[in-house]
Amino acid sequence: MRGACTVFQKELLSYFVSPVSWIVAVVFYLWRGYELSSMAHYAMLVRADPDLFASATYTLPSTTAMVLLVPALLTMRCFAEERRTGSIELLATAPVRDGEVVLGKWAAATVFYALLWLPSCLLLHVLEYGPFLATDLSFGPVFAAYLGMFLLSAMLLAFGCFASSLTDNVLLAAMLAFLFDFGLVSLPAQVRANLGELAQHYYVRELLDKLDVGRNFDDWFARGLIDTSQVAFYAGGVLFFLFLCTASVASRRVA
Amino acid sequence: MIRVFALTKRFGQTLAVDRLGFEVARGEVVGFLGPNGAGKTTTIRVLTGYHPATSGQATVDGFDVERQSLAARQRIGYLPENVPIYPELRVVEFLRYRAALKGVPPRQRTAAVERAMQKADVGEVARKLVGHVSRGFRQRVGLADALVANPPILILDEPTSGLDPNQRRRIKQVVRELAAEHTILFSSHILAEVQDVSTRILVIHRGTLRADGVPERLVAEAVGRRLCVAARCSQDALLALVREVAGTAAVPEPAPEGLGACSAVLQPGQDPTGALGERLLAAGIAVRELRLVAPTLEQYFAHITEGSDRAEELAAAGGAEVA
Repeated sequence: MRGACTVFQKELLSYFVSPVSWIVAVVFYLWRGYELSSMAHYAMLVRADPDLFASATYTLPSTTAMVLLVPALLTMRCFAEERRTGSIELLATAPVRDGEVVLGKWAAATVFYALLWLPSCLLLHVLEYGPFLATDLSFGPVFAAYLGMFLLSAMLLAFGCFASSLTDNVLLAAMLAFLFDFGLVSLPAQVRANLGELAQHYYVRELLDKLDVGRNFDDWFARGLIDTSQVAFYAGGVLFFLFLCTASVASRRVA
Repeated sequence: MIRVFALTKRFGQTLAVDRLGFEVARGEVVGFLGPNGAGKTTTIRVLTGYHPATSGQATVDGFDVERQSLAARQRIGYLPENVPIYPELRVVEFLRYRAALKGVPPRQRTAAVERAMQKADVGEVARKLVGHVSRGFRQRVGLADALVANPPILILDEPTSGLDPNQRRRIKQVVRELAAEHTILFSSHILAEVQDVSTRILVIHRGTLRADGVPERLVAEAVGRRLCVAARCSQDALLALVREVAGTAAVPEPAPEGLGACSAVLQPGQDPTGALGERLLAAGIAVRELRLVAPTLEQYFAHITEGSDRAEELAAAGGAEVA
């Protein structure tokens, strides 16, 4: 794990000195702040139920962008940039396992993503004060929802690392990751609608239910419920894509 | 320290390295010579574990580069041709990162980085961003990276490529200093550099080993020295005398009025200068010049690379005619 820790530290530092990370952070918090304040004003105007306020924030465009787009942006450089500049040769010839390199890069992306995303729940706390809602919000469901979105994003970050390992073109890696992220959220519902009778088959239904991350999020995390099978699904997804990424990186060593 | 046996590497239909075999003993500085595209970098990449071999075997300090890849990589300090380093890191940060990656214990890391920077002479740019240093310094930062874990073996792939003469001289000097403590495989297509630094050379061409030995001996044995004579006599008389002594075909050389001049390529180990001097003296001919000229490594290189290309072209042309 020494190699993974070393790669993790270096990658995390790289995120902090990368202009892309700061641009993403600034744009996201400005956007998020604007959306939340507008929503709070509207909620006060129509005297909306404050308990529904937190769950309504999950449908905001900034949430969608943060969950679907930002993982692709954060991981696009992971391996594609190393391949483009040739520094992959330094990594590959250092006495460290490919799996450790992949784990270190993914962990750094995930921690940076968490640092970028999780503080946004504090914005909800700000809304509890006078000029905004002036009422207490229920933070239990908020934490569950943040956990759900974080787990989904961790899986998408793992896919992003894998996509980045397939090409030396950073933009192509980002597009591939974004298409996957978007497809994962929208395709299961589409497929279910178009399959007709077949969608009612037990195994097909189970598979589509498991893959339908949007519906699962609404059914569990958004209601403040943490289901271990959901957590296992995302953890399994992370491991699966990290395995694919390691295989992709290691494929260079196969004669 | 390095043992390569029947190493073959194919990229699709392209045969990059063909049954290559050589050994490098502890403490040797071996120049790995070959024209561009000869297979030097491919061989080096197999040795460093970046590419797998298609067939054959390579070991580094007794460890198989494929089956015991981590242990083999631990023993190699590698400087790639185009030093790819992270522009966002400072030189000292980059070296600390690389030291950690190579398993230098945390307590020894600062000292290891200091030592590597001192050996590669990059102390003055330690706080600069890697992306902001000159190409010469970049190359030396790459060398410091290769040295940071103090590996017994250094593999340097064209370390002077793209550098100006002063930077090249500096890198060569550093490599010479390192030779006392490390076994070095030094690849280049610049012959003078290899001759300056190496105790032995390996010449690779079209993926196969064409020569292996001490540069001077290889050159002398393969091409042969040249006898050059100029004397105050007619060209024909001088040619006759040289043919008698050297027993080989002498060719006339341009000479000023009243002088004769000629040269002859000698067999390996042949030295007819004494005998020829005595003959000239006995004939009462005043000698202006009598010397043996050793061929350069460049001539030797051309002899075994272009010579083989020409032979292969002729063979191919002959084959085409027959067909």
